[in-house]
Order: sequence, then structure tokens, then C-alpha cells
Amino acid sequence: MTSLYLRDRWFEDLPLGEFHVFGSHTFSELEIVEFAETFDPRPELTNPKQALCSHRQGLVASPWLITAMWMRKMVDYMEVYAQGVNDGRRNGAGVAINDLQWLEPVRPGHTLTYTYEIVAKPDRVIREKWGLIRSRNEAFNQYRTKVMQFEIDILAERRPKNSDDPQQQ
Amino acid sequence: MALQSSILATSIAPSGHLCSNSATLDKDAIVAFAARFDPQPYHLDPDAAAQSIFGGLCASGWHIAAVATRLITETLLDNGLPFIEMTSVSHLTWSRPSFVNEKISVRIGLGPSLTDSPIAGTHSQILEADVCNDEGVVVATMTATAAIATDGAVP
Repeated sequence: MTSLYLRDRWFEDLPLGEFHVFGSHTFSELEIVEFAETFDPRPELTNPKQALCSHRQGLVASPWLITAMWMRKMVDYMEVYAQGVNDGRRNGAGVAINDLQWLEPVRPGHTLTYTYEIVAKPDRVIREKWGLIRSRNEAFNQYRTKVMQFEIDILAERRPKNSDDPQQQ
Repeated sequence: MALQSSILATSIAPSGHLCSNSATLDKDAIVAFAARFDPQPYHLDPDAAAQSIFGGLCASGWHIAAVATRLITETLLDNGLPFIEMTSVSHLTWSRPSFVNEKISVRIGLGPSLTDSPIAGTHSQILEADVCNDEGVVVATMTATAAIATDGAVP
């Protein structure tokens, strides 16, 4: 018996419809400003007072901060509910995203909850080793309004043809 | 999070594309971003990265996306397009890893312009962006929609 579950499975073992809530994050004014200073250093995004005069009438999070935080919540979730990320099979890299939309502004103090659902397993074999897991990912704010969505294709190692034991690599 | 940005002249290529300045992602910047947003071994630890699918320490794909968007923003503003915000990305592919000290720049194709936009006072501009390293190899491609101020004024 193994205690590993989430990331220690072959491509073939991951079911369509698997759903996870990665967790929630409350965005602070400080991290919103710090991200913008590095990646979008315009005064209306880095200076709360000037932001009042912007089209958003106040400070909002950079779109990529909202999406990068999804990655952090996913990694944290996998660390807690799986065991480490050092095993090669569990290191599925993302290769592409589709239909990424930022739907509503995220302001300091807003709390987003990130969800993940496996929606497709495209019939492809990459470098004779990997399959693709397509997940739909969404973020909801504290009013239960969806503020972001995208689909991502992540590599998952296929079970070797000569392997009978799903835990043997 | 340090972002080293070495400035080259923005220019319009003969093809009609806009070419951005470049940004160099050094090891500190790659590790700082990963520690905050993508703490996986191949973005944090050179030894673990050497054993990984990527074969070396490389930037998080989300780091590349954010840097590319900064370069796109600067390029559009420099060319008189009052960029407000990126509102959607219909497709983004990471085609190869970006390793330490690679110099990233973006070749931007301007697609259709649409009156519809989720942000009041703006219209939508479709962008076809190729993110390249200093050897001209494409590391990522992105089709995005940007909100552009319709009255021409940067707020």
C-alpha cells in the first residue's frame, strides 16, 4: 500500500471530473503594489492615491498576480496532500493554456478561492512518455463571483507498457 | 523580485510587427519569483533542475508571461497605443524553457481591433506575441486581448 495519491499516479489513473479546491488567498495592498512595481510599474498601479484617478477608481491586482497565485496555491495543495515534488513522475510541467480570462477586478482585501477540475485527456503521446491532463481552473472572490478562469494542459507520465504495478517506475 | 531590463530601441520591423525592448532574467529574479509563486525544484535549485525534465534551472512559465506582458505594455505605450490592461489570453504555449540569463524580448503582431471590451471607455486590440530569447528562438507564443483607451488618453 502506498499513501501517495494526488501526484503519484500515472496519466491513465487520473479520472475525468476529478475536482480540487486548492485554497484561498487574501490579497494585500502591499503585494499588489510590489508585483506591479516589478511587472507593470505604471503609477496608477503602484501608487494607491493615483490609482483613485484611474479607470478602476482604486488599486487593483495585476492580472498575472491573480494567475501566478493560482500556481502557488496548486503547489502548496500538492505539497500538503501529496508527498513532495521531487519524484520525476510528479513533476508534470505545464505546456499551454487556453481561454484565460480576467473577469472582475481584484482589490486589496479581496479573498480568492481557486478550484481545479480535470476536463479532458487529449489522446496524445509526447516524447514517448507523457500524456496531457487538461484542467479547468477558476477563481472566485468573497462574493462568490468568478474573477478568473483558464484551461491548462499539464504533462502526466504514462504508465510504461511493461509495467504491471502502477507504483513501480 | 529584481527584474533586470536592458533597454534597446523599440522598433517596428519591416514585417509590421512591433519589437519590444529586452529583459534579462538572472538567477536571483528566477528564484525570487519561483519562491513566491511557483516553488518547484526546477525553478529553485540548480542541482534538482539538472535532473528534471527541463535539464537546468529555468524561469516559471508565469514569470515569462508576466515579463512578456510588461514588455508588451511598454511597447504599445511607446507606439502611441494607450494600453490599459490585458483582459484575456485565448492561447499561450510555452515551447521551451528559459534558462538563467537568457535575454527575453517580444515580437508583437497587431491583430483585429474590436469595439467590444469588458472595461468601459476602452476597445479591444488582439495581439499575437512571440516571446524570443537572445538567439531568436521562440520560448512562448501568446494570443491576447488588450484593452486600449478609446479616447486616446492614458489615464
